[in-house]
Amino acid sequence: MPMLYEIEGKQLFKENGIPVPKFKAYDGIESIKAFTEELGNDIMMAKAQALSGGRGKAGLIKKVSASEAEEYIQSILGKDHRGKPVEIVMLEEPMEIVNEYYLSVMLDNASGKYLILASSRGGVDIEEVAEKYPEEIYKEYFSAFVEPQSYMFMEIGKNLGFKAKTLTSFSNIMKNMFIMAQKRDLTLIEINPLILTPDNKIIAADSKVVVDGNADFRQLDIASLKSQRDRHTDLEFEADQAGISYVQLEGEIGIISGGAGLAMATCDLLEFYGSSPANFLDVGGGADETKIEKSLEILSRQEIKGIFINFFAGITRCDDVAHGIINASKKFEIKVPMVIRLVGTNDDIGIQILEENGINAYGKMEPAAKRIVELVKGGN
Amino acid sequence: MAILLDEKTKVIVQGITGKQGTFHAQSMIEYGTKVVAGVTPGKGGQEHLGVPVYDSMKEAVNATQATSSVIFIPAQFAYSAALEAIDANIKLLTIITEGVPVKDTARIKQKSMKNNVIMVGPNCPGLITPEESKIGIIPGEICSKGNVGIVSRSGTLTYEIIQNLTINGLGQSTCVGLGGDPVKGIGFNECLTMFENDPQTKQIILVGEIGGVGEQEAADLVKKEITKPVYAFIAGQTAPPGKQMGHAGAIVHGKSGTAKEKMRILSEVGITTVKTPSEIPTYILENN
Repeated sequence: MPMLYEIEGKQLFKENGIPVPKFKAYDGIESIKAFTEELGNDIMMAKAQALSGGRGKAGLIKKVSASEAEEYIQSILGKDHRGKPVEIVMLEEPMEIVNEYYLSVMLDNASGKYLILASSRGGVDIEEVAEKYPEEIYKEYFSAFVEPQSYMFMEIGKNLGFKAKTLTSFSNIMKNMFIMAQKRDLTLIEINPLILTPDNKIIAADSKVVVDGNADFRQLDIASLKSQRDRHTDLEFEADQAGISYVQLEGEIGIISGGAGLAMATCDLLEFYGSSPANFLDVGGGADETKIEKSLEILSRQEIKGIFINFFAGITRCDDVAHGIINASKKFEIKVPMVIRLVGTNDDIGIQILEENGINAYGKMEPAAKRIVELVKGGN
Repeated sequence: MAILLDEKTKVIVQGITGKQGTFHAQSMIEYGTKVVAGVTPGKGGQEHLGVPVYDSMKEAVNATQATSSVIFIPAQFAYSAALEAIDANIKLLTIITEGVPVKDTARIKQKSMKNNVIMVGPNCPGLITPEESKIGIIPGEICSKGNVGIVSRSGTLTYEIIQNLTINGLGQSTCVGLGGDPVKGIGFNECLTMFENDPQTKQIILVGEIGGVGEQEAADLVKKEITKPVYAFIAGQTAPPGKQMGHAGAIVHGKSGTAKEKMRILSEVGITTVKTPSEIPTYILENN
């Protein structure tokens, strides 16, 4: 679920006609003076940028005066938030609030349609609102082919209590948000809160944007945003660049498999036999030997006690898998026990290649999984 | 009988002259699938793998009266190819392509529903009725004809399960790989209903994954309408919440999406849930 940083989302809002407070990104090097002058105000919000929630509770969002701002920024830069250091702090214009709303547009998985959710009870946990006041969440589905126009959102606006000028501003914002979701291949845009100010302006005070990684080829600027790099660990990023789905986990045994379902089942099986997976790794369909080699290289840089390679090859060919394993073992020493299970397209050739190099392969995955667990636990 | 396809089903391969298209069209033909035409814009009039190639789906359908097509076309162009198939009156549309943008899939799905097209995929292995016909990339040699219907969100994991069945003498009626994307064509429920109405199918296997609500909806349907025994395996029992595990669809959305929760919900409606894929044949044989 590739998310954007709040500040990246707001930049997109700005470019797409959704009003946002004045803001600027700081990484701790420049002076904040220019921004203070632009604001013409001594008070501002400082918000650490993070891809995990719970920033408020962690003390990473604070209202500060211009004199405190630089010190506060320095104090939270580099601070760990759920496993990631804070690298950017956003300074933002503080807003006066008359009311807070919740607004989102998402591509709903179950129906394959766009779904708009809106409520005049924003600024709080929307799931709680949905539980306590389900009638106060306004829901409407739209065709995946819809061409959003302002009139389509008048009724939602009236339901939220907007009228006259605020009603037209709202329906325009809703339209722009919807067009942005379509045009930029976003699967979710959530604004919580959307605020009404004393001078009747409607402004997006927060942004949560989820992008569709499959659309990277036509959204190159979004794909290259900092958040898209930061959501991975270094190893995960390297794997991603090589076209390998790799997720670092906490367990003992490194796994390499093909197909997400089988890779997950491989992880499950290790746990079933009393050990645990150190990672999830799916080389994808039709992986060649370089991908297998790369996968082993990635595992060799992780703290693991054993390696379990499990393939049921369909598009992938077992001889490619075998060549990849042999190439890797020639380039770097594999220091931990390794068990290989190889079945499917060209398995006879693959197994022969391994045997010529003194490696045995299993045909069934359960005994193979059991074996690697035994080896890791110190058995013979 | 079986479901969705049999030896008479005429299939057009979209992208037949490409690398993937060539490899898998060949394997489909060898398996016995009635591949009647291929489509590659600009290559009309040629013959490839002994099959006539057309420039457009409309021409291919007019010439062959085929009602099924399978797409082996890169993600950037899959949307257009799918709409073209629907406009040419295809009734069973299988999209093998991985990495199709979700917005494109949503639009293909909507158009499919409007035109009563059965859409399978994208990012799926396709379907097979053993010893009759296959559409897609499921290895034919691991399958055997029989009475077990399989519907799955996974690819390679399904092969694992099919092979375990075959080794244990349990043949399959039809195996359907739904695909792993968050938005997809038909789901568990459409297949469960078809298997329920298919005289050949005596047992049904459902292979699920973490994330999404398809398994929960299947439980509701099984409770109300499915009388045949159903067995289920859910992958991702050890997956950490919130981490994306390869398929965009395999994301844990809160508690209801975890493998354990899904297994509990499925068990409650009388579905036999198993912990490892190899347990499935054991249970089926015990109950027979």
